[in-house]
Amino acid sequence: MQIFPIRAFDPPVTVTSLRQQVREIVRQHEHRWTPEERCNPWLKCDAEFSLALGGAGLLGLTWPQQYGGQERSVLERYVVLEELLAHGAPCGCHWIADRQTGPLLLRYGSEHLREKYLPGIARGEVYACIGLSEPNAGSDLASVRSQARRTAGGWVLNGQKIWTSNAHACQTMLALVRTDPGSERHAGLSQLMIDLDLPGISVRPIIDMTGEHHFNEVFFDDALIPLEALVGTEGEGWKQAMAELAYERSGPERYLSTHMLFAELVDVIGADPPEPVAQLIGRLAAEVWTLRQMSMSTAAKLAAGEDPVIEASIVKDLGNAFEQAMPRLIQAAVDADLLAGSALGRMLAHVLVASPSFSLRGGTPEVLRGIIAKGLGLR
Amino acid sequence: MSESRQLLCDMADGLFSDLAEAGFDKAWPRIEEAGFASLLIPEEQGGFGGGWGDAYAVLRIAGRHALSAPLGDTIIAHRLLMEAGIIPPAGPIGLAKANGQVGYGRHCGSVVCIEGGELRLVEVATSEIVEGYSLAGEPFDRICPAGAPLANAHCAANLSALGAFALVAQSAGALEAAFELTLEHVNTRVQFGKALGRFQAVQQAMAEFSVEAAAIDAAGQAMAAALDKGCALDDSTGFEVAAAKLRANMAIERCFPIAHRLHGAIGFTMEYALNRYTRRLMDWRGDCGNDAYWAGILGRRVAKLGGCGLWPEITRRSDAAAPAE
Repeated sequence: MQIFPIRAFDPPVTVTSLRQQVREIVRQHEHRWTPEERCNPWLKCDAEFSLALGGAGLLGLTWPQQYGGQERSVLERYVVLEELLAHGAPCGCHWIADRQTGPLLLRYGSEHLREKYLPGIARGEVYACIGLSEPNAGSDLASVRSQARRTAGGWVLNGQKIWTSNAHACQTMLALVRTDPGSERHAGLSQLMIDLDLPGISVRPIIDMTGEHHFNEVFFDDALIPLEALVGTEGEGWKQAMAELAYERSGPERYLSTHMLFAELVDVIGADPPEPVAQLIGRLAAEVWTLRQMSMSTAAKLAAGEDPVIEASIVKDLGNAFEQAMPRLIQAAVDADLLAGSALGRMLAHVLVASPSFSLRGGTPEVLRGIIAKGLGLR
Repeated sequence: MSESRQLLCDMADGLFSDLAEAGFDKAWPRIEEAGFASLLIPEEQGGFGGGWGDAYAVLRIAGRHALSAPLGDTIIAHRLLMEAGIIPPAGPIGLAKANGQVGYGRHCGSVVCIEGGELRLVEVATSEIVEGYSLAGEPFDRICPAGAPLANAHCAANLSALGAFALVAQSAGALEAAFELTLEHVNTRVQFGKALGRFQAVQQAMAEFSVEAAAIDAAGQAMAAALDKGCALDDSTGFEVAAAKLRANMAIERCFPIAHRLHGAIGFTMEYALNRYTRRLMDWRGDCGNDAYWAGILGRRVAKLGGCGLWPEITRRSDAAAPAE
């Protein structure tokens, strides 16, 4: 039983020019970015940079041109993403909308919703957040209780979402809510595109342990949501939300989001490092290289129409563990004098404290390993 | 997988599973007869005409069945000798480590040594043999040449890297076999009224095992693909071999304790098959470059690239196969 047969990632013909294009845009903007921002690129926001990417035709890359897309291949998009992450470019504004909200609207959304949101997302102007978690529905997502009642004038929405990353920066949320009042678990759920400036919606910050504001609570108090905000089919929300999460799978963000910390370490330590640090760099490089092979193989399978659920969970699990271990290993091995007041020190401090969040986003190790075990026939 | 590689793998799997319990004397004639030794020799020179991906696939299967023969050494020696213009002698051919040790040395007809850019083909019959054993109980002998070599030639190949290539492949196979044994055990062994595999703690450990088995094999397949794309074997710091051997060592370190933990005392017996894999894995982890060796080589290479050079180098190596725009 070969657990991870590799599928070759055949580089698209445009691979060299695409990499150059992204590297050039990064060079034009990187003077604004702090060391901390460069070590958490898919959470940190830079609206001007997102606009620049949209202007360069690098968002909505695979979408139809009629919705502002570029009709380019899945593998071309993969190349753009890995370049952005490896250079620590803050993509937090557009990340979710480009990665999952847009593709979900293309798959399930009405013509009205596509026309309303997709061109703005592709321009880098419209940002979306994920409305899944609730106070009593975290890993156990089917416990969602927020409820939308259908009326002639629209959906009347009551309830609460929590841990909503960057909700305060986003114009809209794709939310999973209960539209069948008596329903339980996976039944009776629907997805709504909710514009966050509507009356009855309030967003409150939750400051995380890095001292920063990414998380939010979002409250709905008799908020009136237009009927046409329904995405796809009423009652099919669970299935659609699972399809949405599939877009999260195995992207390069699972192992490259702290790559700048590694690169900075290599720069600071110089061409002739002491042996223990040389060995640490070797270990990190071996892990990055291996994870990249696994991530590219999974992307190639997705592009070929396969559904590599287990492979994707494996990449996520290994990637999370790698990203969490990296700052601890660097702290253990590097001379503290090199860290004091330097960009390397700032990056390390930030990533150390931020690292517990790496195994929250997209599933804890226990959840991922449960999925893998199930795939192995163990449940 | 290509059709020809699938056929090759089917043949290897059939033969090696037949030979799984066989010692060297019984196994070797059938391996030789099947023609695996010429796997990496071009067809026009009478060989199988396979690539590194084929060699990886076959050696992985050899690892899966804990084959008791120096197959990897012989395949690689044939290729080196062919490139050096030397006709390979019949029989198993060993590859000498820097300290003169050779796996299955006493059984080999000849041994390839490379030192200072010179390849020497040494006859075992006229050499002094100091017998020894690996952790897995396989012959691991020191061959001390007494007379003049059978042949010699200039050769820039790095035997540590080539040996590491074979060990990554065999380790991926052995780890997979150990995983399957463990999976079978936890699915059938009943304790506390249910199969061990029904316990979440066991499921989590098996998942951890599987992701490492996935990583070692993914690294190995990618290493072989890089070699087929023309990554030079004479580059003593070959990025992909270093990364794959190091990652393989890390996977072995994390996995063999899980295999034994889940097996309990049953797995610690000589009779039960698990030790045939785990003892080989323990041995191979330290053979042809341990963690410190490859981590140091890879780390110094990356340090010379600099932080800004690392990512462009990683992408350059994988983009090399891209068609022209």
